[in-house]
Amino acid sequence: MNVKRALILTPLILIALLLQSYFWVPSYEKQSVGNPARLRTYIEGSIADAKILNPILNADGASSRITDFVFDGLLDMDENLNLRGRLATDWSITEKAYLLARPEITLPDGSPATGERLLEVLSQAQVNGNLPELDGILLSLRLLPAGEKNETLTLVEPDEQGNPSPTSVEVTIRTPPRVEFTLSRVDQDFFTRLTPLLGAAYFQDFPYADHITVADAALREKVQPQVPALLPVAEHNPVILFHLRQDARFHDGHPFDAGDVKFTYEAIMNPRNISPRTSDYEPIKRVDILDPHTVQVTYKRLYSPAINAWMMGILPEHLLNEAAMGKEMAERGLSDAARASFGMRDSQFNRQPLGTGPFRFVEWQGDEFIHLIRNEDYWERAPEYEHYYFRVIPELLTQEVEFKSGAIDAYGVQPHQVARYKQEEAYQSFSSLGFGYSYIGYNNRNPLFADKRVRRALGMAINVDEIITYLLYGEGEQITGPYPRQTEWYNPTIPPIPYDPEGAQRLLEEVGWQRNSEGWLEKDGQVFEFNLITNNGNLIRANIMTIAQDAWKNIGVKCNTQVFEWAVFLKDFVNTGSFDAVVLGWSMGIDPDLYQIFHSSQAGPQQLNFVGYTSPEADALIVRIRQEYDLDQQRALAHRLHQVIADDQPYTFLYVGLATRVLDKKIVLVERAADGRERYEKIYPTKSGSIAFYFNKWRKLEFTPDF
Amino acid sequence: MWVFLLRAILQRLVLLVVISMIAFSIVHLAPGEPSEVDPANPRMKPEDIARIRAAFHLDEPLSVQYVYWLRDLATGELKSFKDSQPVLPKIWRRFLNSLPLFICATLIVWSLSFPTGIQAAIQRGSPFDRTTTFVAYAFISIPGFFLSYLAIQWVVDLFNVPIIGMRTFGMENAQPAFRWMDRLWHLVVPSVMSAIAGIAILSRYVRSQMLEVVRQDYVRTARAKGLPEESVIYRHALRNALLPFVTMFGFLLPGLIGGSVIFEQIFAWPGLGRLGYEAILARDFPVILTINFIAATLTLAGTLVSDILYAVVDPRIRLQ
Amino acid sequence: MAELTHRVALEGEAELPKPETPLQEAWRIFQKDRLALSGLVVLVLLVAMAAAGKVLTEWVVVFDPATVRLPDKFLPPFSSVSQALIPAAHHPLGGLYLLGTDELGRDVFARMLQGSFVSLSIGFIAVGISVTIGIILGGLSGFYGNVKLGLLSVDTLIMRFTDIMLCFPTFFLILTVVALLPPSIYNIMIVIGLTSWMATARFVRAEFLALREQDFVVAAQALGLPEGRIIFRHMVPNAIAPVLVSATIGVAGAILTESGLSFLGFGVQPPYATWGNILASGRGFIFDAPWLFFIPGLAIFVVVLAFNLVGEGLREALNPRLRNKG
Repeated sequence: MNVKRALILTPLILIALLLQSYFWVPSYEKQSVGNPARLRTYIEGSIADAKILNPILNADGASSRITDFVFDGLLDMDENLNLRGRLATDWSITEKAYLLARPEITLPDGSPATGERLLEVLSQAQVNGNLPELDGILLSLRLLPAGEKNETLTLVEPDEQGNPSPTSVEVTIRTPPRVEFTLSRVDQDFFTRLTPLLGAAYFQDFPYADHITVADAALREKVQPQVPALLPVAEHNPVILFHLRQDARFHDGHPFDAGDVKFTYEAIMNPRNISPRTSDYEPIKRVDILDPHTVQVTYKRLYSPAINAWMMGILPEHLLNEAAMGKEMAERGLSDAARASFGMRDSQFNRQPLGTGPFRFVEWQGDEFIHLIRNEDYWERAPEYEHYYFRVIPELLTQEVEFKSGAIDAYGVQPHQVARYKQEEAYQSFSSLGFGYSYIGYNNRNPLFADKRVRRALGMAINVDEIITYLLYGEGEQITGPYPRQTEWYNPTIPPIPYDPEGAQRLLEEVGWQRNSEGWLEKDGQVFEFNLITNNGNLIRANIMTIAQDAWKNIGVKCNTQVFEWAVFLKDFVNTGSFDAVVLGWSMGIDPDLYQIFHSSQAGPQQLNFVGYTSPEADALIVRIRQEYDLDQQRALAHRLHQVIADDQPYTFLYVGLATRVLDKKIVLVERAADGRERYEKIYPTKSGSIAFYFNKWRKLEFTPDF
Repeated sequence: MWVFLLRAILQRLVLLVVISMIAFSIVHLAPGEPSEVDPANPRMKPEDIARIRAAFHLDEPLSVQYVYWLRDLATGELKSFKDSQPVLPKIWRRFLNSLPLFICATLIVWSLSFPTGIQAAIQRGSPFDRTTTFVAYAFISIPGFFLSYLAIQWVVDLFNVPIIGMRTFGMENAQPAFRWMDRLWHLVVPSVMSAIAGIAILSRYVRSQMLEVVRQDYVRTARAKGLPEESVIYRHALRNALLPFVTMFGFLLPGLIGGSVIFEQIFAWPGLGRLGYEAILARDFPVILTINFIAATLTLAGTLVSDILYAVVDPRIRLQ
Repeated sequence: MAELTHRVALEGEAELPKPETPLQEAWRIFQKDRLALSGLVVLVLLVAMAAAGKVLTEWVVVFDPATVRLPDKFLPPFSSVSQALIPAAHHPLGGLYLLGTDELGRDVFARMLQGSFVSLSIGFIAVGISVTIGIILGGLSGFYGNVKLGLLSVDTLIMRFTDIMLCFPTFFLILTVVALLPPSIYNIMIVIGLTSWMATARFVRAEFLALREQDFVVAAQALGLPEGRIIFRHMVPNAIAPVLVSATIGVAGAILTESGLSFLGFGVQPPYATWGNILASGRGFIFDAPWLFFIPGLAIFVVVLAFNLVGEGLREALNPRLRNKG
């Protein structure tokens, strides 16, 4: 019977066809051992794909992993977390400061503070050496004439739905004559030092109304808070001078120069590009090209972390300027509507990036892989690995299967897996401190948590050691305050909050909480009860929540836990401040600026001080730290700030996780001697906790070296 | 006939618009905003957020946004929120990735279901029938990802070859034959896994269809005529039992989009289901809506095709 | 269908020789199917277990699914509690972890027990919603199909709406809605219910269309019985057989759907334990604590299989055309 035969044969043939393909596929051993090319290929597994491969536009970890390979910044951080030149060979920081003339005010010597008089007084003081602190700082001074300019301000106010909506306001500013000071270094107390000459009242009650006119009178009230910043009586303008590398080239051979730096800055500030990094560059007043390899950046005000922004990759101007964009639009045949809104975000460049970095881009298959190949003409030594693959594997288990079989060289290992790998001979593992820490944040506005003893007691009830040992498999370290542990800002002398449930109970009794008949704490007929929430998708956070709930139950505190989807969690709870306590984490930068997280001015809706922490001392310290350019001063201030915050306990600071990487032992650091001979070294993490700092020297050997 | 076609198409177009409106409202009214509008990012200021919302037209009324979406979809200039790339080419690439998996799974399902289903029907109540019934239900009852995990473990341990992803890395320079076979091998396990539930359901359906048909008068007549049993079953009965399956062809294509999320996730397959899943996670509205729109279009086209096919193969039905 | 409906119509008339009622007949056939019968036994046990789970883990806490005992994490089944490290108040019943502990040292047996109630109620409530909608819409469409509402008839309106719902890829739709809405257990039940009623509606409509032409319905209408009585006393009981079958299988489907959602991280969120999310969170520990993966996986498998087999048994028992073999 033909039909019957066909019905039975078809599946058999199909199955045979499918199964025979097995014999064509190289086994894991053949792929890793028998293939010399594989040794020069590094394949990294990742849960998530990159989004947009443009250093000024990306905001996700996966994308910046790739752009860090393809692009170079002007600066980066060296092994000891100090700034190091990359595309910039060196740099210097000086300052220009400005002082407005105030003819309506009399100086201590009785004369009116006109521009000429100011210049006279100050020059005399400099020549006579009346102000010894200024020796070596004040280089020169001159008088600038009065001027007038128009500016457009943006006012952002929530609309009916509570979404921010911007309006523009035109203002006219009439600047009086100013004295310009050229300083050899940045000094936030410069004007304070001038007080003996100017009088204490000089910086107060400036008559802004005489100098600033708002075009739309109805908006005058609303503009008022922004006015002092428009025309500061005393202005600091830090200036950074970068000398650029002369031998750096983009991957297409085009030489890198100062024009690319200025272009990158302008691209970030171009509103059409919607860069998420605008706020890093907003303090910049101007970028000037002094010559093809010298750039001068002038800042609007004191903000010491601003220099870190120059670690971001530099874009090739010749591929992204107006002309190039116009060409791309024409090639893609876009409609007028699409042209009108076309920005760098829309460019195909973001899917095939080109920079000056150690690896060139080859191919990107969405949600599958990104392929990079080494840049043979890299201005530093070219990397040892020839190929770099970024493979997207969305499941942890399949990542592990691929890693064990050698199909990928690295992936984000989970703490419980690390414990297992550590027992295996074939792997080397590196645990180093990360930049993120976890905490339980209490809504400081809630009367329940208003007393810092209560917050402290809640912290004392939680056994952080136990969390670290069992939840993180030892892959974490307890912290006492708001800075990453490995940075200099962290104050190592502060003792952690002890695990002491009895002590916690005594502390709560001091505040007036007594156990009731059911075992819950009670005060004025109110049971100590609140909600602890966190976002879903983070197993460890959910577990911390469960542990905290359990721990607080033991001291008589009733805590209800809830998990919300991230967007809902932010919108309905965190942004509006309508929560009791949250389990969350911060991923910190390397700078000591805590303005957004702990300054009392940042406690409004949609702002990051959502716990509503207020402390005048902390506020003052935070502002001083971000204006200080001297490292030693900054460190001392940060240590003090750490102390203040640790005393107040707005959060229960839990731990900083160890970032753990596991690698095959065959992957080593290759050092080349002058005669070309290779020497192998064991990979080691730098102070920042990164093992990838020397990634360009990594290679996989055919044998397991003996270190 | 033509009148019927015209009416059917018009009706479906209206449906399509209604569906897209419903989908649009569900997606936009749900809480949460695209991940690019990220107030948790300390670098973002309210004015930056306002700018992004404006660029995505999120600050406009819903009806205006809908018109924008429809216009951009029609002109092919619809952009993803996530990376500002055109949505249609993006979906097309993923569609091409999903297609082999889908074809392979469908072939497995259809080629295996018929012989087992027919055999089970012929031998109703026999050990073969009981076993296949039980096995079929067992396959339907296992959570797909549970079985896939076991399969991955088993294949990797036993055969020591890669099965995750679409290809083996480091074979770029191998012979084309090896590369093709490598791609084929990577298809095997995921397609078998996603076919398993299908085999179970379809073979059960084939069995019950056969049982229906075998009892019909014309089969009885054929038997009475003294035709050999095989001829009765495979000529007369099977042909008629096939009728309802013709209509199922129409519904095959939409299955490309929905059912594969979990398997694509496990096997790291960069297909359409994962594109949709990632878009949902990032609240990439244009991508979610367009995928949904395409799925609805395919389903509606599928119902049309199956109506027509049915009329073609079954002379008793007239299109009116 | 004809014999069955006749019997129902003639139910009241006692003078006939006592026939086997349809239910008895169905039960007789069902009993013969050993697979289905064993499925039924499993289901009865499961319901008992779920009830016990609710009582013993929430009302009279004998098995505490929430207690965290970090020193006792990842203990295999039948391990004893570490007496020295765990305070006596936190010991499991008899000092024994019947099914081991999870990554926080919680008692897996207690969690499974608690989960059985949640999983089962998701299945039942979701199917309850879908069957209710299906019967109402299918019934309306089948019975009042010809009534015009403006341009369109009720039938067209409802059936087009059913088509619309069928056009959304179901799992994708559930995923979208669950991902966008807060993932509460009720949302999941409702969404699964709201997206799975279409098949029920379609065959209830088909049954109604057929039944409406039957003699006993025509007779009832001729007698001037109220429509509500005709629908609920005479038509619904006759159309219920396929609904029952699909509902049984639907519960199985809902439990599987929940586990699939849990796998993608959108299932029922803690503190509720369901078999789906125990399985989904256990999959990360397959090498460290395989029981966290296999126990819920096998439990889901057995229960879903039982539902399916019972459904199949019901189908055979209630389908009059297949009754007489041959």
